[in-house]
Amino acid sequence: MRKKEKKGFWIQIVFIALMLVVWETAARLRLFGPRSEIIFPPLEAIGRAFVLNFAKGYGGVSLWRYIGNSMKLLGEGLLIGIILALILSGACMVSVSFRRIYSLVIAVMDLLPGVAMLPVVIIIFGISPGVIVFLVVHSVLWPMSRNVLDGFLAVPRIYVEAGKNIGLRGISLLLGVYLPASVTYVISGLKVGWARAWRGLISAEMIFGIASCPGIGLYINQMRVNLNNAEMYATLLVIIIIGLIVQYGILVPIENRTVKKWGMSR
Amino acid sequence: MTEKQNCILRIDNLIKIFDDAETEDTILKGLNLTVQRGEFMCILGPSGCGKTTFLRCIAGFEEFDGQIYVDGHKCSVPGTDRIMVFQDFNQLFPWKTVEQNIQYPLKLQGLRDKDELRRISEESLIKVKLQGYERYYPHQLSGGMKQRVAIAKALALKPALILMDEPFAALDAMTRSELQEEVLRISEQEGSTVIFVTHNIEEAITLGTRILVFQKGGQVVFDEKNPIKRPVTPLAENYGAIWEKLHRALHSEDGG
Ligand SMILES: Nc1ncnc2c1ncn2[C@@H]1O[C@H](COP(=O)(O)OP(=O)(O)OP(=O)(O)O)[C@@H](O)[C@H]1O
Ligand SMILES: [Mg+2]
Repeated sequence: MRKKEKKGFWIQIVFIALMLVVWETAARLRLFGPRSEIIFPPLEAIGRAFVLNFAKGYGGVSLWRYIGNSMKLLGEGLLIGIILALILSGACMVSVSFRRIYSLVIAVMDLLPGVAMLPVVIIIFGISPGVIVFLVVHSVLWPMSRNVLDGFLAVPRIYVEAGKNIGLRGISLLLGVYLPASVTYVISGLKVGWARAWRGLISAEMIFGIASCPGIGLYINQMRVNLNNAEMYATLLVIIIIGLIVQYGILVPIENRTVKKWGMSR
Repeated sequence: MTEKQNCILRIDNLIKIFDDAETEDTILKGLNLTVQRGEFMCILGPSGCGKTTFLRCIAGFEEFDGQIYVDGHKCSVPGTDRIMVFQDFNQLFPWKTVEQNIQYPLKLQGLRDKDELRRISEESLIKVKLQGYERYYPHQLSGGMKQRVAIAKALALKPALILMDEPFAALDAMTRSELQEEVLRISEQEGSTVIFVTHNIEEAITLGTRILVFQKGGQVVFDEKNPIKRPVTPLAENYGAIWEKLHRALHSEDGG
């Protein structure tokens, strides 16, 4: 088993190395003629751009600042979205009528891409960071609610009764039994929610760059406008790296400390 | 002590109907019963006669008509004075360690002192012979060990009543008789009052100080003190006779 995993890992490394070689070859041979420089900048240029993004940035502002802004809005939105999802899903366990209504709202809103609502949202908030936060909340709230609610409804009756037996009622039962018992659902909600929020955030920043709070999406757009394609590719790398950090630095550890540790994986 | 003070559970005209069932059958048709402090009451009965339903009414998990008094207080919702030990091994919270599972209910009762909590959980784990497993999570335990923890958890709370619904039915014969011995020893040491539902005549004779047989509708067709002195062995004088009696009471329905 271990051996197979290791082999799989090396195959992936070889594949990545191969792709880099293909890329570099395409760049050196100038396969696309005059546009080659833009489509396939040499790896060295991308590497340099990667460093320059952080060292110099654009218009005297380092990429760090852009990343910081994006992450701040993302964090705020995620926090609001997750808390709202927990509160509203919790309310569904109290009132059946509310659950009916909220299920409908989830089903409808989940179909609506956040970016499609941007025009209306901008009329409400103006072009301000609030738009991005709204979008992140929208991206995370519905999948998170769906999952948490499914999780709450799937909690085995025996846990609920054991909880009531030892004196848990209402909110304490919700926090003491329903929430931990549905942790697998909560985590898959987090995964879906975060992935959507991250994509939505970058799209929104690219479409409506907010000057007062410039983020990663805006940075890519500025690179595009100025035909700094090596910098643009380098920024895409940054986006991937941030995604990996969230995945393996936050989500996987949360999973290991809960579902895995408690033997609750489905 | 007078008879009245010694009565820990009194049930007056307990009636249970499930509204959602297809047949609006009355599962418990006006059951009356009193249980004395320190009694180990075993309930036998054919499948579907309402034993589980009866325990669940006492525990407060079901709505019912009639009155249930525990220690003189009327009960209709769950409370820590009546702790249920289920048949299902998965009654412990998987997100808490063995120790936390035992301490959590105590914390909910307002006990904050860490040393005291530790002392109580250790003590009750020793009673079920599980010392050293404090830090284990339920999924790391066998079925028998989980049932031991569930019993330890109940003991730690010192409830007026421990309700056990075929807690050992899903265990192998050896683990089962081991656990029977321990429950017996513990209940004698602690003087706990236990209502113990089982399908197994031998188990009822081994454990019970009093044995009941239910028939359909929660009708009590047999209610006698267990005449055999503990520890009960199949070689005891009256064993065969009482076994016969219980067997006949159990099959009285289809016998005509
Ligand atoms: N939630 C419920 N809704 C409707 N009917 C129920 C419900 N729970 C139990 N019953 C019915 O009540 C009757 C008694 O069930 P109960 O589980 O109390 O039997 P039991 O004596 O514990 O049986 P067993 O020995 O098989 O465990 C059965 O006929 C069952 O169909
Ligand atoms: Mg039963």
